[in-house]
Amino acid sequence: MTSPFRSSWHTTWQTLSSIKTGVVLIISVVIFSAAGTIILQRPMTDPDDMTRAYSPAMLRFLDVTGLTDIFHTRWFIALMILVSLSIVAASVQRFPNAWRYFARPYKSPDESFRKVLPTQAQIPLANNDNDEEQGLSAAERAFRHMGLKAERIVRTDSFSLFSERNRISEMAVYIVHASLLLIFLGFIVDSVYGWRAFLVLSPGTASNQVETKDGSKRTIPFSIRCDGTGEETYADGSPKRWWSKLAVVDGGREVSRKEIVVNDPLVYHGLRFYQATYGRTGKLDQLILNATPANGKATPQEISLAMSQTVALDVDTSVQLAEFIPDFVVQDGRVYARSNDVTNPAVHLIVTSKKAKGSVSVNVWLPQMPGIDENASSPYTFDPKDLKTGLYTGLQVSHEPGQWAVWAGVVLMGIGLTFVFYVVHMRFWVVPVVDARGRTALWIGGTANRNRDAFELKFKNVVEQIQKELKRELAASVEAPATISGTTISGTTISRTTISGTTIAGSVSPATEEVYGTRKS
Amino acid sequence: MARARAEQHPATGTTMVVMVGLGMAFLLFMSFLNVVKSGNILSEANLLFAALVFYAGAGALYLGFGVTGTDSYIKFASLMTWAGLLANTGAVAHRWYEAGHPPFASIYEMLLSFVWTLAALTLIAEKRYGVKVIGTVTMPVAIVGVILMQLLPSDVRPLVPALQSTWLHVHVTLAMLAYAACALSFALAMMFLIQDRVKTEMFLAATSIFTVGIYAAVLTRFERWGGLNVIAWDTGNKSEVFISRGVRLFVTIPDLGWLMLLVFVAVAAPLVLYILARVKKNSGFLAVADRAVFISILLQSLALVFFLLRVRDGQYPSLDAEGLYATSLAASPFILAALVGGIFANLLYLLLLWRRADLERLLPDADALDRITYKTICIAFPLLTLMIAAGAYWANRAWGSYWNWDPKETWAAITWLVYALYLHLRITRGWRGRRAAYFAILGFAVVMFTFFGVTYLLRGLHAYA
Repeated sequence: MTSPFRSSWHTTWQTLSSIKTGVVLIISVVIFSAAGTIILQRPMTDPDDMTRAYSPAMLRFLDVTGLTDIFHTRWFIALMILVSLSIVAASVQRFPNAWRYFARPYKSPDESFRKVLPTQAQIPLANNDNDEEQGLSAAERAFRHMGLKAERIVRTDSFSLFSERNRISEMAVYIVHASLLLIFLGFIVDSVYGWRAFLVLSPGTASNQVETKDGSKRTIPFSIRCDGTGEETYADGSPKRWWSKLAVVDGGREVSRKEIVVNDPLVYHGLRFYQATYGRTGKLDQLILNATPANGKATPQEISLAMSQTVALDVDTSVQLAEFIPDFVVQDGRVYARSNDVTNPAVHLIVTSKKAKGSVSVNVWLPQMPGIDENASSPYTFDPKDLKTGLYTGLQVSHEPGQWAVWAGVVLMGIGLTFVFYVVHMRFWVVPVVDARGRTALWIGGTANRNRDAFELKFKNVVEQIQKELKRELAASVEAPATISGTTISGTTISRTTISGTTIAGSVSPATEEVYGTRKS
Repeated sequence: MARARAEQHPATGTTMVVMVGLGMAFLLFMSFLNVVKSGNILSEANLLFAALVFYAGAGALYLGFGVTGTDSYIKFASLMTWAGLLANTGAVAHRWYEAGHPPFASIYEMLLSFVWTLAALTLIAEKRYGVKVIGTVTMPVAIVGVILMQLLPSDVRPLVPALQSTWLHVHVTLAMLAYAACALSFALAMMFLIQDRVKTEMFLAATSIFTVGIYAAVLTRFERWGGLNVIAWDTGNKSEVFISRGVRLFVTIPDLGWLMLLVFVAVAAPLVLYILARVKKNSGFLAVADRAVFISILLQSLALVFFLLRVRDGQYPSLDAEGLYATSLAASPFILAALVGGIFANLLYLLLLWRRADLERLLPDADALDRITYKTICIAFPLLTLMIAAGAYWANRAWGSYWNWDPKETWAAITWLVYALYLHLRITRGWRGRRAAYFAILGFAVVMFTFFGVTYLLRGLHAYA
């Protein structure tokens, strides 16, 4: 039955599930992620910065290999999938064993197990017919006293006691691995079906068109209307709060309304709208000017201009707002915009006068631009009074259908890790045995899957408690010796044995002294 | 007894104490100037200054123990740490009250919380686990932290909108706790290596490589004609000077480059001698190397003093722009931290060299240290996980996406993966002892890079810290 296909499948499976593969994969993820933080990444980095930072050949190489956008390249995603497969394979391979351990706990320890168990102790019992039963019931009471449930295990050839706590802890690692897969699943769903986009709205406008990262438009099944936006600042001028009043218009009806701020988005139909930016559009809403005739014969008149609007100043003269530059800079006889912030505005007006030979247009610049403007030949002088620019709110739109898997995974991982690190599966067995001297004794063994130091203390307490219970029973039996079938025993003739078969010869010791055996694994 | 021990190393022992004392006095004096300048007596700066004095005292006493081998020093060091923690708590409380939010909003406030957590954990490790000399490693870190705080912009800034979230506090508290636990595991792993009889010359090699790395990094700023480039600083705005978006203006401090080059040679000497000793199998080189370490500490201290003096005063020319520009220690906190860190690393080596027997007597045995290191990582790992989860949840509310592959996020994930590897190798492959200790040290190196390196070297969304 060892066909080549089968054996190669087997080899693949073995390789995938081995811890070595896991380690190699994790190390590769670490190396490539680190590279992704050091190599400049598109599209966050400006293309100009990219060309400045790397030589053309280098940049071509980085682009071709996907190193300029590592986290979205196919091979990185393939690597993540390999990691997931490795986790699955490793878990699947180890799970049956752990499940057997979990589903069918080992309750009745045999002799070989008793021999090798590192944490164990023996308490000799008085030699009489009924002492095995009495020993076990004393142990039972001791467990109950310590808040542990004990179970009588009766087999054809033996009977014993078994007690355990937190068996679920054995499954904790699988919970953590499952949670990690759940997170990966959410992540993959989001990278395949999720998208992010941007929506810029001015107050009073509505839109169902959002712009994705690559610049293309996307239509969403409802409209978002902006009813207002604004900023609050601290005394020192730094921003305190950005807000936007949004309304959802679905099927022509307003269905939802919310004032969003940073850290508190609007959610509708699986789409989330976040307050991302806020500002002045840099587009002129209204410009208010005083126009005075150059010959000084008439009084100044106040005019209001919108973009491209033409206003008549007198019968023959009109003025048009041709350009508005929010933040201007002059270079080589031309005017350029440096940014969209209204910090250093300039306006370009065209003044047209009807003359006998036709109309004459003059370019007027505010402020004056020597060499560019023709302000001197304008029939009017202009004096800016006020300018109003438009407000806008920038909304981040995101659709992440997989995020619930991510959060479920995170919660599950929290639970799993708590179990992995802080919940200890502990087991105790109590078996009546015959010791090396041929006397009946109570063998007590215990084991824990983690935090063994603390467990040893706990084990010691358990043994002491059992001893206490036995002593009490003994005291009761001394008062009524008839119940112990003729043999009188005194409390001081109990001998002690150690583990691993060695008997401390002739040690007649007080009942409190006990020898604990602990072998470090 | 102390006298007898001091006589064993007459020259070096005493000189060390004097040198450490002078270095401390110098740094304290510098901080004191700041306090006087501020004028306000019962202020956060003064509380912090008190914390610095006590931490420095504790650190000096731990080192003093190293030099003289007097056990009672440890007790006083512990008392000093308590006093420092008290003052530190006062500073945290003051800050919290003044700002109206827990101190997590800027790198200054983060350091404040980090130092507090570190001191608290030091005391816990000392009282609870009996790791008495842990302060020898953690106190220098705390001192460097407080000194850095003196230089960073400390004015209470109102929270920008993105930071106005409960998740900020959850995220940062978890981060601080996790990182402090990682720091502790690092210190414990180092102690394990001592108890595990790793040869003293291995520590020589490690500290030398560390220091050579520091000066090699500093020398990347070396300029022709021996100048050293540092970032220009706008004292009015307490910010770096930019010539264009994202491009900082550097000024060149003349001659400082030559000094750094000289110190680089001095710190490289022990490493070269160590390699010679290994290659030629002649341990005579090692004795010379130890002397070279001592000389390099003197030169490093000199470099630190000159760096402090030159960077604090004066206007310097820049290669990128006309004119003279000011700079400030706050512009290059990492050069400063690196210089101080290098000195401490070498001092710790000398401590080990001279007092190894005492250290071995004082420290818990190797097995216990190995177990405690593992336990600390068992605490750190869930905290790291929760920190990342809280950060992701917050990012989802603030930026619209729970994972952006931002450098800080990516490096947090890398840290998590490194510790995950540690746990897997330990649990399934039975990695104990030395290999596990090396891994714990690597883990902490990654943590430090995530905390400091990413903030200053890699740009991203985490602009605040």
